[in-house]
Parts: sequence; structure tokens; C-alpha cells
Amino acid sequence: MNHTTAQNRGLTTRLAGAGTALVLAAGALTLTGGPALAKDGDVERSGSCSGGTSWKLKASPEDGRIEVEGEVDSNKNGQKWRWRLMHNGSRSARGKATTKPPSGSFEVRRVVVDLKGTDKLTFVARHPKSGEVCRGSVKF
Amino acid sequence: MRVISNPVLQFLAAALLVLVVIAFGTGRLSAQAANEEAIADSRAITRVLAASVAEPALPRGLITGRPGALDRFDRAVLDRLLVDDVQRIKIWDASGRIVYSDETALIGEQFTLGDDERDVLQHGSTEAEMSDLSRPENRFEAGSGGLLEVYTRILSPEGEPLLFEVYFSAAQVADRKEAVFSAFRPITLGGLALLVVLTTPVLWVLMRRVQAGARARERLLRAAVDASDSERRRIARDLHDGVVQDLAGTSYAVTAVADTLRADRPEASSRLSEAGDSLRTSLRSLRSLLVEIYPPELHTEGLAAALEDLVAQANGAGVEAVVSVRDVDAVDEDVVALVWRVAQEAVRNSLRHGAADRIDVTVDGRGGAVLLEVSDNGRGFEPGAVDATEHFGLRGLRDLIAEAGARLDVRSSPGAGTTVRLEVDVA
Repeated sequence: MNHTTAQNRGLTTRLAGAGTALVLAAGALTLTGGPALAKDGDVERSGSCSGGTSWKLKASPEDGRIEVEGEVDSNKNGQKWRWRLMHNGSRSARGKATTKPPSGSFEVRRVVVDLKGTDKLTFVARHPKSGEVCRGSVKF
Repeated sequence: MRVISNPVLQFLAAALLVLVVIAFGTGRLSAQAANEEAIADSRAITRVLAASVAEPALPRGLITGRPGALDRFDRAVLDRLLVDDVQRIKIWDASGRIVYSDETALIGEQFTLGDDERDVLQHGSTEAEMSDLSRPENRFEAGSGGLLEVYTRILSPEGEPLLFEVYFSAAQVADRKEAVFSAFRPITLGGLALLVVLTTPVLWVLMRRVQAGARARERLLRAAVDASDSERRRIARDLHDGVVQDLAGTSYAVTAVADTLRADRPEASSRLSEAGDSLRTSLRSLRSLLVEIYPPELHTEGLAAALEDLVAQANGAGVEAVVSVRDVDAVDEDVVALVWRVAQEAVRNSLRHGAADRIDVTVDGRGGAVLLEVSDNGRGFEPGAVDATEHFGLRGLRDLIAEAGARLDVRSSPGAGTTVRLEVDVA
């Protein structure tokens, strides 16, 4: 039962990834697709990476700051990824993460300063072995 | 009034006042000491936060406003800077721009630095002052109820001097004040309160003894007065029942003999008539003297007779004295006694000081009040020159007059005689 579900999900993910591959190739901005500005609420975007892995990026207000949650779901456990979080083009954080069961994903959470004007937050994850890159942005 | 005059309550009130004064004084002193101590502590905390938390964590690019540098610094130091009573952190550059604050809305805003702040940026000392919460850079602290701001210098990785500013809550000063005050409280207030607790029972016992002694002296005095009254009453009664009756009988007898001899021996009759007159004069003087020695048993029916006896001495001294009493039948005997005593003093003073040749004594009980008037046609005196009631020896009656709710009025002017007027409500 679980195996079937995982297979279905993997298929769905691959189909979705294929569907968005052209968009990814056109560029990250196309992938993230012009998110709405929401200083008072959550902003959430998701998409597919270059190799079929999916990503999700969420920004939420938190006491004068922005809580950023980035997730990469490759559906494979034990993959080692490098990631970085860019804030208005400036590196805010970086690190390494490994996908873990049950979903074969990893999640990163960081809090950044809510600057005057629109904050653009970009989450980039790279799998060195396969060269797959995930890149998503939100504007807050 | 009795409560106010109670010595124990007076002592407790004074002790309470002293306690309040000492509490206020120690409060002021402890507040001063606490302020100094709180400021010293705040300076020390600021220096530690600057040297051990903020400066080592400053990333390159913070002073130029690079967002990533801001994020890294914020995540690294925020929880370590906002400790204890620290309410706000601001880091300024030399131009007056806030390069970092825990209140992110302030980041990047530009304000004018004060002379003290520029001096700290140049020379690196640590200064403290009460925050001016009306300034725009302090708008987020406007409702905090007072802040102490302490600032010192730190250096960015690029070598730029920055002003590291920490805002402390005024509650810290209040806590320090309470801490200092609580250290003094057992010595000052506690000691004084203990002294009051210990001395109050002693004072209470002493007061009870003094009051008991006063009551004993009053009893003795009253007994002495009663004994004197009793003796005077006895003398007056003996004189009245003995000498007065004898003189009265003798005067009637002499007068009767004079009448008998008037036809046969007119010369002897005349002499006996003179002797009878002399006896009657002596009898009036003796009755006046008896009134002086002991007032008669007063009652409403006897008031007129008592007043007649009172003025008998005036008649004997060649002063025409007229007594008029009306409508006092329903008047209380205490009021009658008061009327008689005031009349006695007034008549006595008229005879002694007034040099009058006529005295009128009237008592009128109509209209819900008893009105006594003793007026003479003597020399009078200047109103205001002397206290009339004092001058007329009415001082001793003041309490009686006041207790009866009566009103005493003395009117006089030089050459126009004197009128003493007493009005007592009886309704």
C-alpha cells in the first residue's frame, strides 16, 4: 500500500516536473512565476527542479521579521544537498542538508530582517552529484 | 476634642508622622543611591554586550546595509542582546544612520546625533542619560514609561567606529530602589515602629495614672468645696434663724414702744423710732450679707425675693434698686440659678465700680427665653478698653453660661451707665 502510494507520488512528481521543465529552462523567474506581495500574510510558492525534484518556498511575517521555509523533496533518502538563501541578492544563509525519510526531503528554516520595501527571497539548492538545481523565489 | 487631647493618640500621631517623614527621606535617599547604582550597572552591562556580543558578531557589509549581513547579525545576536531589562538596541554609524536595531523598522533611518554621542564615537567612552522619548528615533518606546539609554563605541570589521546604544527599562531603577530601601527598612522604619510599640503601653499606663491622680484631686477639691458650702450654709442658717429673727423682733418691739410713747414722751419716742430704723437698716445689711455668704435655695417662686435680698445692700448704701420679675413660673431651676448668679455679679460690680445711684434688675420669661437685664446709671466705661466680661467678674460664670447655651452681653459707655444682659433659651 505504501509502496503503491510512493510510486504514484513519484509518478505524479515526475509528470509535474516534466510539465514544468520547459519553464525551468526559461529561467527561475518564470519558475517562481511572479508571486503576490503579502506583507501581512504568508507567501508560498512551489515548483520543480532541473532533475525532477520538487521545491517549496514559504515566507511568513514574524514580529518585524520574515520567517522563510524552504523545502526540497527528491523522494530519495540520504541525498546530500547544498543550499543557500539570498535576501535581495545578498547571501543571508547557507548550509548543507540531507534528504530524510519518510518523504526523502529536507527543510530549511531561517528568519531574516523585514526591510523597507519589497524583500526578495531566493532559495537555491544544488545536488552536487547529479548537478540538479532547485531555485525558487518569493517577494514579501 | 477628647480624642485629640488624648496623649496616647497624640503620641501615636506624632510617631506616625515621624514614620512618614523617615520613610519619605529614606525613599529619596534610596532612590538616589539606586539611580546611581542602576546607571553604573547599566554602563557595565552595555560595555559587556558591546565587547563580548555585538562587536565580535559584526559581519562585513553591515555598515553598508547589505541585507544578508543584517540577517546574519540579527540571528546571531538578537537573543543575546535583549537580556534582563534591555528594551532596545541601536547601532549607529557616524552619519547618524541606524545600521541595526532589534526594531527592524528603524534600520536605515537617519537622525541627528547629539554632541555626547559624537564625543563617544570619537573618544570611545561610555555615557548614560535618560531617553527623550519625544524624539522620532524613540517613537517605538513612547509608551514604555521611561528609559535609560547607555551608549559606547564599537568598531566594525571595516574599522568604522559605530555607536552601540542600549536602552534599559526604568523599572530596573525602581527595582534597585526597592532593593536599597528594603535594606534600610528594618533599621529605620522597623526600629521606630518597634519603639512605638514598646512605648505605647508604657505611655498608656502613665496616662491612666495621671488621670487617676487628677480624678483624686478633683474629688478632694469637690469635698473641700462641699465642706465649705456646708459650713457657710450652717452659718447663714444660724444667723437667719437666730440673730435675724431677734433683730426683727427687737425692731418691731422698739417701734411699738415708740408708738406708745409718742403722745406722752415724744422725745423718747423719737429716739426709739430712730433706734428701730437703725435696727431695720442693720437687718437689711445682715440679709445682704447672708446672701453673699450663701445664696438662697433658689426656685422660681423665690427668685423675686432672692433678688430683693440681693439689692437690699444697695438700698442700704443709698442706691435706689428696683427689682422686676415676671413670667418665670415654668422656668427650670438651673436657669433660675444662672440668672441669679449673673445678677449677683452684675449688682456687685455696679456697687463696686459703677458709682450709680440707681440699679434696675429685670427678669422677663416671655417669648421662649429668659431675659435678665441689670442696668445702672453709673460712670460706665469705654467698650474695647477692657474685656467687659473679665472686668465684671463674670469670667467664673463663663462655663455655666456656655453650657446653658445662653448669651451674655455687656454694654457700656463712659458716663452712660452699664447694662448687663443675659438671654437663656428655655423653649
